[in-house]
Amino acid sequence: MKYHVPNAPVVSQDQTGESIYTLTIVSKEIAREAQPGQFAHLRCGKSADPLLRRPLSINDVERDKGTVTFSYQVVGKGTQLLSELKAGETLDVIGPLGQGFKTDLRGKKVGIIGGGMGIAPLIFLGRELSRENQVQAFWGGRSEGLLPPFVTAVEFPYAIATDDGSSGRKGLVTELVAESLSQEKFDLLYACGPRLMLAAVARLAREYNIPLQVSLESVMACGVGACLGCTIKGRKQGKETQFKVCQDGPVFWAEEVFWDE
Amino acid sequence: MSNLTERYINNNHSVNGESVNGEKNVDLSVEIAGIKMKNPVMTASGTFSFGEAYTDFFPLESLGAVVVKGVTIESRAGNPTPRLVETPAGLLNSIGLENPGVEAVLTKYLPLMAAHDVPVIVNIAGNTLEEYGEVAARLSASPVVKGLEVNISCPNVREGGMAFGSHPEMAAKVIRKVKENTSLPVIAKLSPNVTDIGEMAVAVEDAGADALSLINTLLGMAIDIHKREPVLGNIMGGLSGPAVKPVGVRMVWQVAEQVRIPIIGMGGIMCTEDALEYIMAGATAVAVGTGQFVNPRCCVDIVKGLEEFCRKQGVERIGELKGAAKRGVK
Repeated sequence: MKYHVPNAPVVSQDQTGESIYTLTIVSKEIAREAQPGQFAHLRCGKSADPLLRRPLSINDVERDKGTVTFSYQVVGKGTQLLSELKAGETLDVIGPLGQGFKTDLRGKKVGIIGGGMGIAPLIFLGRELSRENQVQAFWGGRSEGLLPPFVTAVEFPYAIATDDGSSGRKGLVTELVAESLSQEKFDLLYACGPRLMLAAVARLAREYNIPLQVSLESVMACGVGACLGCTIKGRKQGKETQFKVCQDGPVFWAEEVFWDE
Repeated sequence: MSNLTERYINNNHSVNGESVNGEKNVDLSVEIAGIKMKNPVMTASGTFSFGEAYTDFFPLESLGAVVVKGVTIESRAGNPTPRLVETPAGLLNSIGLENPGVEAVLTKYLPLMAAHDVPVIVNIAGNTLEEYGEVAARLSASPVVKGLEVNISCPNVREGGMAFGSHPEMAAKVIRKVKENTSLPVIAKLSPNVTDIGEMAVAVEDAGADALSLINTLLGMAIDIHKREPVLGNIMGGLSGPAVKPVGVRMVWQVAEQVRIPIIGMGGIMCTEDALEYIMAGATAVAVGTGQFVNPRCCVDIVKGLEEFCRKQGVERIGELKGAAKRGVK
């Protein structure tokens, strides 16, 4: 079920890095039903400019408190307005939307790979999976200041790579993943981040024959499968098809995605 | 019936024409070419899928009518991405009539709509006159379909679409072809990308159109100055949203003076006030498109808002407000 909550109270909004913000709202319905990898569609400001909602992946939920947290970087008009929201104000939100990550597994060893703000939904995923599985995280980013603050606050092992070496290893997160895959056996991989990183992880997953789920990004208008603005070409059961990122995704199996485009 | 449905439908408990709290009921019902609607608020084609995307937000029964996505004979993959770009108070799209084709619509999508007590109008498009005729004939066989809206105005396809809607004679030919192939009410959806909208409206009325939808999107474009290339995969797209509303209101105003058939006004409707502008310009009904992306309950909020406005103003029937602004011209 999708919910439209026009007046979700804002509990907190904190700047937690260079242009990175963490926003927590109350919505019992969304907190109760959200699955890792799903997103919400947020109205930024109240005027007609910017007109469209902004899709943000769900960073985490506290089901008992009914809170939902988003972590995002200010990149334009919409996210700028969003960052100006203060505790006590309200947010117009639709969610939870789309298909989340596969979480019905136990006793497995899984790797979760996040780049930049793509780490946000993997926090929720890692926490859920780590209850009954062994989770190893790989976080990557341009620099320490551009990594979401919660990367080091997780309760499962993680390794970090940054482009400038300001945190963890200097280099690409995919180098960490490649090393790890050559030494350990993983049952399943998950990734969220820039397209090039996802494509590189998809190559590695294919090489080691490990199933991989990726979360894709797209420009969206409706967010609920109506406008067909976020359509991508892909394949399902060997046949070429079209997916709506908002409804069929944002999480896909790596082999469903055309990586060469 | 769900509780949600009851809440929306049974909001007019009446005793002898008066609501239980003593206020007079407002009659929001309208009729478009024989299609009876409980209120004048419809969805705009292409923004509502085949109805299923919004059922979590409100019951379809609370709408005046549902207009579903443009349907063609064969399935269409649509245009390359990116297909969307936000502009000030507007949205440029170049979807390109992506749809599963008439067979899948008849067998998979329309049967789902049969469960809802709301008139379903199907938007149709084609590359040739024959295709328009064929898709009209196929859809007319469905008991679910209560009307056809003929898309002669899509700016995002090379053949058909706006190419038919830019010349009065061609537009008239399409409407005649559709009329020959259906006994359903035929609504012509016109393009604003013409020199004389009145001429187009008169041409399709003479060809037998039973109603008009005004306006489709305005042809537009955006450029990525950093990449030095057009933003949209299809280069140009159709502009919708609040930015186009004054154009739509003006066109409804001009056309209402020249035709006798009813007009469905659309283009940038976000709230009750916008809908009232269209109605007062001469529209019998209104359709919400892009507004739903911003507020998924936009349509039902407008239904409620129209009722409140009428009650406050002592208007008994929404029809009284149709073209009301004409009487205001000194």
